[in-house]
Amino acid sequence: MPTIHLENLIKRYGTVQVLHGVELEMADNEFTVLVGPSGCGKSTTLRMIAGLEDVSEGEIYVDGKPVSHLEPKDRDLAMVFQDYALYPHMNVAKNMSFALLLQKRPKAEIDRKVREVAATLGLTDYLGRKPGELSGGQRQRVAMGRALTRDAGIFLFDEPLSNLDAKLRGQMRAELALMSQRVQKNMVYVTHDQIEAMTLADRIVVMHGGYIQQQGSPKELFKKPVNKFVAGFLGMPPMNFLDGEITDTADGVFVSGDGFALKLEGEKAAAAKAHSSREVTLGLRPSDLVYDADAGAGRALQLDIIVSEYVGAQTVLLCKCGPANVVVEVNSQTPIALGQTLTFAANSAGVHLFDRHSEVAL
Amino acid sequence: MSAKYEKQNPAFYVLIAILVFMSIGPVMLMFINSFKLDVDIISGTSGLLFLPTIQNYEKALCDVLWYEPEHVDFCSLKFGGAFINSLIIALISTFLTLVIGCMAAYALVRFRFMGRDTASLTTLMVRMVPPAVLLVPVFGLWNNEFCLDKEGLIGGLIRDTFGGRGDVCLAGTHSGIILIYVAMNLPFVIWILQSFIVQVPRSLEEAARVDGAGPFQVFFKVVLPLIKPGLAAAAIFTFRIAWNEYLLASALSDRNTKTVPILIVNNMSEFNVEWGVIMATGMLLAIPPIIFTLFASRQIITGMTAGAVKG
Ligand SMILES: Nc1ncnc2c1ncn2[C@@H]1O[C@H](COP(=O)(O)OP(=O)(O)OP(=O)(O)O)[C@@H](O)[C@H]1O
Ligand SMILES: [Mg+2]
Repeated sequence: MPTIHLENLIKRYGTVQVLHGVELEMADNEFTVLVGPSGCGKSTTLRMIAGLEDVSEGEIYVDGKPVSHLEPKDRDLAMVFQDYALYPHMNVAKNMSFALLLQKRPKAEIDRKVREVAATLGLTDYLGRKPGELSGGQRQRVAMGRALTRDAGIFLFDEPLSNLDAKLRGQMRAELALMSQRVQKNMVYVTHDQIEAMTLADRIVVMHGGYIQQQGSPKELFKKPVNKFVAGFLGMPPMNFLDGEITDTADGVFVSGDGFALKLEGEKAAAAKAHSSREVTLGLRPSDLVYDADAGAGRALQLDIIVSEYVGAQTVLLCKCGPANVVVEVNSQTPIALGQTLTFAANSAGVHLFDRHSEVAL
Repeated sequence: MSAKYEKQNPAFYVLIAILVFMSIGPVMLMFINSFKLDVDIISGTSGLLFLPTIQNYEKALCDVLWYEPEHVDFCSLKFGGAFINSLIIALISTFLTLVIGCMAAYALVRFRFMGRDTASLTTLMVRMVPPAVLLVPVFGLWNNEFCLDKEGLIGGLIRDTFGGRGDVCLAGTHSGIILIYVAMNLPFVIWILQSFIVQVPRSLEEAARVDGAGPFQVFFKVVLPLIKPGLAAAAIFTFRIAWNEYLLASALSDRNTKTVPILIVNNMSEFNVEWGVIMATGMLLAIPPIIFTLFASRQIITGMTAGAVKG
């Protein structure tokens, strides 16, 4: 329910600074996903919201009220820990009802709540077991269940699905999406998994090295990444990067390099023209490259096929375009032989340009 | 498996047999002698050929028996009273040691405060001091310093209620002995429990805090159940020492607060050592620690934290 506002949040461990001024605003009932490579400070941010880490500088506001001096129990939140943190001496039902027992809720209500959550998580058969007698995936579900039985205002998830198999993860993802629509709570979710991030998030926050790189809706981030890092981080298979140069000719503005010369259109052309440096990095998502032997000049890329990976309906091809590696996806039906050089057409809307040195998008 | 057994060197069995004999032997001797008359014991007719008698036990237990054994003309031994004194002192001092010890250990492990390492080390140093060294200063303090004036409010009240003469001092009371036992055992207990508390994953405590537990609930509902094996080990250790301690108790107890070990020694005089009664009392003395240990050792289960955290 509540809004969360992180104001210039800084975290230091001794002399090592791990968060450099995180500024984040989370609206009512918003599902915020923090993504980023390992060690970028996602868990730290989450733990600071929970009150498990001291705030070195800055402030956390919940519903406009500063909370960084409050104990976790006074912040009205539930959390799923990255390492589960189940109470080993209590069985699954006790683990899930611990918070409610501390709140002295009536026993009937606790029972009902635990059964309900256990049923959605597929834990009904395990309620009597101790955590030590469960598999990794089951433990993770218990950890989820422990948070879900609470009706806290804020839910914090630290990679809650990382240990589940693909099928169960898909199920749980759908379950979470459903729940987030139903319960109308503010959720902050940390993950490595792009698909989780893209499917669940109202807002994605991409972090790197203790800085927020970009935040916005999944679509925004996918379509308009502000820099090379964000562009490369979101999307599977990841974006291809090719070094190129901007050339301004009578025919229009081109970005050209070893094996390609793409004509830029509209805003991109204007931006490229106005940019101070001629040296850029061209970014193309595999989904914006289509196999097209007849692609006209200004759209075509010549790719040497090196490796082909069959993944069902699609085949992922690893290619060379000059010195750069390029990944493309083609329909598995397409007859392709290794070692061939093929022509691919680039979707002009999918062209991303970054300054080669600052890596900022043009 | 069986093949493996056959290959065992017979020397190992001999070694084990010697070790078993060394540890059980004296107990067996005490057990057997406790059923012999003093004359049999002293005449040295060792071996198993004798007429077992429960006279020694009757004599040792004369003040608690419901009948009067005919061979006992004067019941000088107050085994019942001493036994109860021993129980009170051992149980209460064990309990106090554990309560204070686990809290102190928790604070030393989890909280950062000035002088933490020094405090941790000092607790162990105290343990290095032999009890005999403590005896004289403690005796002096307990008798002369730690007293309530009999004219004073509380001291007067105690004197009025319980009678007696002089100032109300720690010496000669249960509390006095309990206090010194707690002080004596605390360092070791803190030390043992620290190593157990370190093993409780920190994220469990964090989970409990997020679940709404205050500092004491975190400690009692999450940490304490997980260090039960440590508490049991510490309890066995503390109880055994408090139960068997002789030196300090002999100095600090009076007629009404003496413990069983002191009673045993009181059976020796210049002229006469009543071996039979000593053996019988010794056997009786051994029973409570055995029961206590059996009970407490059931709590020692390994792998208490299995499944708590990933990996
Ligand atoms: N107690 C600590 N003392 C010093 N540095 C720490 C401490 N805890 C975390 N760090 C550092 O802070 C940085 C951020 O850690 P954090 O756990 O937030 O990473 P993360 O983004 O959650 O990574 P992962 O995805 O691997 O869980 C890391 O570089 C880590 O080394
Ligand atoms: Mg993490």
